[in-house]
Amino acid sequence: MLFQLLIDSFSLGSFYALIALGFSLIFGVTHTFNLAHGELILLSGYLAYVLGKYFSIPFLFTLPICMLALVFVAMLLHQLLRQVKEPFELNSLVVTFGLALVLQNAMLFFFSANYRLIHVPPVPPLELPNLHLFITQTQFILVGLSLLVTGSIYLLWRKTFLGKALRATIQDREAARLAGINVEHMSLMAFILGGMLIGLAGPLYAQREYLHPFGGMEATLIGVIITIFAGVGRIRGILLGGWILGGVESVTVFFLGANWRELVSALVLIMLIVVRPAGVLSKRAKSERWR
Amino acid sequence: MVRSLGRLAIVLLYMTLQAAVVFADAIRIGEVNPLTGKLAKHGLEIHEGILAAVEEVNARGGIKGSMVELVSRDDQSLPEVAINQTEELLYRVKVIGLVGGYVDALVGPISELAAKHRTPYVASASLQRSLTEGRQNPYFFRVSQLDGVAKPLCDFVIEMIHPKTAAILYAATPGSTEFGHDVEACLRNAGVTIPIVEKFRPGTLDFSSFLLKVRQSQPDILISGGFYPDHLILVRHLREQKIPLPIYLAPWGVAYASFIEEMGEASEGLFGLCAWNPGITLPGTEKESELFVERFTRRFSKPPNTTTMHGYTSARALLAAVDKTLQSGQELSGDRISQQLRSLDLILPMEHLAFNQNGDPKHYDQVVVQIQKGKLVVVYPPNRATGKIMEH
Repeated sequence: MLFQLLIDSFSLGSFYALIALGFSLIFGVTHTFNLAHGELILLSGYLAYVLGKYFSIPFLFTLPICMLALVFVAMLLHQLLRQVKEPFELNSLVVTFGLALVLQNAMLFFFSANYRLIHVPPVPPLELPNLHLFITQTQFILVGLSLLVTGSIYLLWRKTFLGKALRATIQDREAARLAGINVEHMSLMAFILGGMLIGLAGPLYAQREYLHPFGGMEATLIGVIITIFAGVGRIRGILLGGWILGGVESVTVFFLGANWRELVSALVLIMLIVVRPAGVLSKRAKSERWR
Repeated sequence: MVRSLGRLAIVLLYMTLQAAVVFADAIRIGEVNPLTGKLAKHGLEIHEGILAAVEEVNARGGIKGSMVELVSRDDQSLPEVAINQTEELLYRVKVIGLVGGYVDALVGPISELAAKHRTPYVASASLQRSLTEGRQNPYFFRVSQLDGVAKPLCDFVIEMIHPKTAAILYAATPGSTEFGHDVEACLRNAGVTIPIVEKFRPGTLDFSSFLLKVRQSQPDILISGGFYPDHLILVRHLREQKIPLPIYLAPWGVAYASFIEEMGEASEGLFGLCAWNPGITLPGTEKESELFVERFTRRFSKPPNTTTMHGYTSARALLAAVDKTLQSGQELSGDRISQQLRSLDLILPMEHLAFNQNGDPKHYDQVVVQIQKGKLVVVYPPNRATGKIMEH
């Protein structure tokens, strides 16, 4: 049972990480606190739903289409936010909150208030009879994709000039500008990459949970919490943060009961903010938080 | 150009005057429902049921020559907004009665305000006992109550399933929590062992650890007091993880055609409860039920469901009380309408509607249904059963 609990924890944590990656990346580079993050995930989910239901496109093939579509949407959002005046963080919060309301009502108009699901052809779970372990198709996809995506972004982060420029922008925008980095261009790149990640998360969210025009807040909260867990701009930290949160929730529900889930998660989050204010992988003091 | 604009202005003025004449002596009833937000699906269904009842009355020429005007407000699934909207309906619009409401967290505050303003309120979907029991609110009525759900469910489990063990999961809402406690007490009294009783926050996105416990303890039945979206997640995870669970029974959220459509094969064999559905109606009301389904489908381009019928029933109750007040030659007032509501006796497709002294319905009883080949089949109580339990 404990091994099964571990598998469930990793699967849940990977799901959280995939939801949070787009939010964390955009927030890190541009300081945009995107309150419409969940709604954008739902938008991508609804697109995958339409592609699957009305065009019979297999689930896995909807992923690249949704990623491309959300890159376009994210670029539009970037253009919108360029018009925002100082204080940018506060004003971007207000603008994205308004955008969330617009998207909610647009989705209500086009898709009604009915709950929608994305179905994938059922595949029997992989069973390890001696260990009484089951690994489902969804768990396999979530863990695999989270590792693949985190690994890819980590390589981009560490091994390319673009990655270094993005990291520099996260650490200090003014210093990056003085070093000759086009910070505006980096913001656009962050929205493009963030859009891809949001586009990927949407169909996975719809396949694991459900689609409802007003269900975006849960995804936004996951994005915010995991970003706090990880520390801004820490890609590996997001996956680790997702796994920790997934593990804490799963273990709490299993040993204490479902009604303890939120309380224990909140306590762990508060403790982490006190002990590791710059994120779970951080070893430095609060004042030196940026790598 | 100027002449055209002038004509347009005259037409608009004429239309405005027409509307003013039509609604000059209109009977205004107010409705507060979650038309947006998390509860929008069921809020909109209740709204359509209320609208159907109002349009039905107006199509017959109104009540004693006066048309009924429905003033709808959206509470956005938030109690604080429900309070604001109700205040507006009571103090500014000055409605003569209120209907609607979904879940007790929204119905409770509306009922308080209605009492303060001495305006009758007939809630469409409310269960929490403390809203009616031990509390003097002569203006509050509702067309549903918890015993009408918990009792048939418990009787069904004990009489038909004979489980040795049962797991109970319920949502952290007032109605669902009372339901969970009621069912637990009832099953324990019947000698059923209950290895798992758990409460969860509505909107929870993951049940895998809970299901792991279900796999470990292998109960004969899981009674799941969550709502529509919770079942969408739970049942899919159950099926995907091949959890050995003979019976899944949910009082709310499963007995819907839209649920069956979305879940497809995975919904086969699930048990749910409903007060009404197309083809499942109070004996003796088959014809009226069919006519309602026909009218509703023509008007809204979709069939009604049990939630719609709760909205329709609550509006029918309020409209009937208004009608009786006017027929008796009295002026409309909150006290007189409430008095008429207390003496109401209506046979409607969902229930034989009469209120007790607390404002609860006297004869609200849901039936247990099972999803068989994509259809809802009534399996309990025996006198209303349309089929037998199918093993899945």
